[in-house]
Amino acid sequence: MAPRLRTLLLVFLSLAAAACTPVGSPSPTVSQQPSISAAPSAAAHSVYPLTLTDDAGRSVTIPAAPTRIVSLAPSNTEIVCALDACKDLVGVTDFDDYPAQVASVTHVVIGGTVDVEKVAAAQPQLIVAAGNELTPSAVIDQLAQLGFPVLSLYPHTLDEVGDDILLVGRAIDAQAGATQLVASMRARAGALVAAVGSAERPRVFYEVGVFEGTIYTAGKDSFLASLITLAGGDPITGDPASTSIQLEDLIAADPQLILLGDAAYDSTITPASVAARSGWGGMTAVVDGKIIVMADDLVITRPGPRIVDGLEALARAIHPDLVP
Amino acid sequence: MSTGVATAPLVAAQGLVVGYPLASGGRREVLRGVDLALTRGELVALLGTNGSGKTTLLRAFAGTLHPDAGSVTLDGRSLGDWSRPALARRIAVLPQQLELPVGFTVAELVAMGRAPHARRLFASTAEDDRAVARALLDADAADLADRRAEELSGGERQRLLVAMALAQEPDLLLLDEPTLHLDLAHQVGLLSAIRRLRAQRGITVLAVLHDLNLAAGFAPRAVVLDGGRIVADGLPDEILSPDLVQRVFGVPVDEARTTEGRRHLALRLD
Amino acid sequence: MRAAAAATTGRLAVGPSLTRTAIVLGGGAIVLVVAMVVAVAVGSVGVSIGDTAAILGHRLLGLPIPRTWSVGAEQIIFDVRLPRVLTAMLVGGGLALAGTVFQALLRNPMADPYIIGTAAGASLGAIAGLMAPILVPALAIGAGSSWLGLGVVQVLAFAGGLGTVLLVYAVSRTNGRVPVVTLLLTGYAVSSVLAAGVALLMFFSGQRLGAIFGWLMGSLANARWLNLAFAAPLLAISGALLVIRWRRLNLLLLGDEPASHLGLDVEREKLALTMLATLATSTVVAISGTIGFVGLVVPHLLRLAIGPDHRLLLPASILFGASLLALADLGARLAGGVPVGIVTALIGAPFFIYLLRRSRDLSRGAVA
Repeated sequence: MAPRLRTLLLVFLSLAAAACTPVGSPSPTVSQQPSISAAPSAAAHSVYPLTLTDDAGRSVTIPAAPTRIVSLAPSNTEIVCALDACKDLVGVTDFDDYPAQVASVTHVVIGGTVDVEKVAAAQPQLIVAAGNELTPSAVIDQLAQLGFPVLSLYPHTLDEVGDDILLVGRAIDAQAGATQLVASMRARAGALVAAVGSAERPRVFYEVGVFEGTIYTAGKDSFLASLITLAGGDPITGDPASTSIQLEDLIAADPQLILLGDAAYDSTITPASVAARSGWGGMTAVVDGKIIVMADDLVITRPGPRIVDGLEALARAIHPDLVP
Repeated sequence: MSTGVATAPLVAAQGLVVGYPLASGGRREVLRGVDLALTRGELVALLGTNGSGKTTLLRAFAGTLHPDAGSVTLDGRSLGDWSRPALARRIAVLPQQLELPVGFTVAELVAMGRAPHARRLFASTAEDDRAVARALLDADAADLADRRAEELSGGERQRLLVAMALAQEPDLLLLDEPTLHLDLAHQVGLLSAIRRLRAQRGITVLAVLHDLNLAAGFAPRAVVLDGGRIVADGLPDEILSPDLVQRVFGVPVDEARTTEGRRHLALRLD
Repeated sequence: MRAAAAATTGRLAVGPSLTRTAIVLGGGAIVLVVAMVVAVAVGSVGVSIGDTAAILGHRLLGLPIPRTWSVGAEQIIFDVRLPRVLTAMLVGGGLALAGTVFQALLRNPMADPYIIGTAAGASLGAIAGLMAPILVPALAIGAGSSWLGLGVVQVLAFAGGLGTVLLVYAVSRTNGRVPVVTLLLTGYAVSSVLAAGVALLMFFSGQRLGAIFGWLMGSLANARWLNLAFAAPLLAISGALLVIRWRRLNLLLLGDEPASHLGLDVEREKLALTMLATLATSTVVAISGTIGFVGLVVPHLLRLAIGPDHRLLLPASILFGASLLALADLGARLAGGVPVGIVTALIGAPFFIYLLRRSRDLSRGAVA
């Protein structure tokens, strides 16, 4: 009995260790490495009923152009508003803070929990959810069973953010706006990448949080890691599942630059407090004083239309001389 | 006992060998070949030292212990061939003590004795109700019917246990040291009641007792166990001699005669 | 008084009188209906009582009522709240029944339905199911995959719960007997090992930690008609088979040997009771996670109110357990959609302390 359970645990461990990318189906345009593709061809009008495949691989049918939209994640809200459909929003989350006009929209997600009754009461014609269990798949199932079209978005790379915006554009018949937005985003991103492309890549540690001794950072092959790479850095990454990294591994990796994402929300975290942490003093970044507060953490970690602002903030932090 | 006419025994042990498994592996044989038969309506006292196998023999008769060798039969059929409910309709055990669950009344506990006879899914039959009433009356516990079991005194508990056993309407009643922890009045009262019940209902009784004189007054037949074997079986007056007592129990006794002529054994202390 | 009556009729009617049975069970049924109506009528979105009644009448009873309510209201009442309330009732009734059975079977007043390993096994199964897409990318079963209409999580939870108890039972067997103390200790040991496995998986869970926590606390948010279709027949069968065993449970309270002398095949009955109660518990856990305190507190409360006789106790536990959880879930919904297990813990724990202090007999054990 006991030996069998032990074996079982070992199997789980090795599987967990071997896990690479977070799972999800590739978005309509297959493109896994951090790269920029060319702008798509001129946009058309969506024809309804319209069937799309979302990032979770689900086939979603939208009967008519949606005029009542519910968003279950702040990034999705930003996408909808960027496509000029802010007025169509009938439900958002209580974490939504951009743009300012969403403050008056009913909250259907409170404290991270989706209130299915409130969503049903709003009778949306399209729900934009977040993948990878940010919106629990059971909730997505329930909403789909109630008859609402649910589009689940989960971009792994910068490129896929653009693809998601195009997808939403098709869904709400805003293809022209989507194409324009994505084109300008990609152009800007392309320019940034070109500017820092040939420079030497410093080892960058992006601190997401430190709680009770556990250090959270960009997971291996995660979105954040790919952004840092695009921004001209060499990201130090943590375990892909737990996104944590052990202190000794961090010391061994020896970051040349530390970016404090958590300092944007916690004023007690400063370069001085980080330098004072025991065990951190020997890192090159600390010795050289290269610890930067990332006030723009929100746009860096929210995969929406402002993501290129995030890329720019990262690039500026990593290569201040190349990005004014 | 023997009336000259061959009467088939109600319950009989033949060549009974019973043991318990030891923690170290292996078995400890407690009964080493016991032959004991009881005919209907017999009243038998079972005597012996601690560890001689009295309780083991009783449990073998109850069907709780399975023999390593030999057999115990009821109405000619081996106990192992009887289903548990069928056995419980014929044999009742009065245990030395019973942990009574809290919250039940005496009547409710006595009604549990009807379990082997239960016919209906949720209710009791008229027959069940009558048996319970009779059991309480015969056990002299009718006035206790509505009392909570946990509030009873020692003597009252004993009456409850008797009533529970009687509710089963058994043919064979097995008592395991029923007079332990009872004061004199209750001892006399209980054994007198058993004798009366045997007369009224025709129950066969096998009682493990430790008081030799009490046993002699109680039953017309005594069986003495020593080291897992029967060493004496017969009229108490005849078999319970100072000789036997010295041999089996290892204590010297003096004998006297009561005014009725019964033998009485007096312990000799130094 | 009773003796006199018995003397005249020669009969002594024992057990709860018809009036008492009617009051307890009838009362329980009424409470249940009221709880159900209230739980369906109230929620985070206001739907008028009139509309609620009309919708239920129209959809459930097929009454030809002209539609004066909105589509949203109908969806909320019939597709969101009703299955959830029915699930709460099924789960609450099942847990309370299983708890009553285990407390008698194990002769332990601290026993709950999960005590011999069901929770630990079901948790490990469910969390493995929740984590499968992360751990084994090839198993990237897109959300909404199902087997027989049930999710991977439900199937693994059910199998985990049942399998663990079978394991614990087999390990506890010595010389063809399963002593109650051994069963308890083995259950504790096996649960500890499996709990370690659960903790390990939780560490690697990343994004899914919230979902895992919700499952462990127990939640009715995933209630759906499909799960009810799976659970209802299983609970009906195990419930019925347990309720008719009231006599045997009463006998077990006397102890193994006395029960045997009263005609019970003790080992067989213990196995049957364990398996039936575990079937009910595993079914419930599969669709709602490990909701605590209902299975522990409801039997105690009822025993204090109506006594330990299982004839009334078993059906009463089903009725009152169902009502309790339906109302607790209403509280959970109004508190912002927290897992209902949090509500039952918040109410149950202080209540239990109160019970302990109030009833001095409890220290001796309502089950001796």
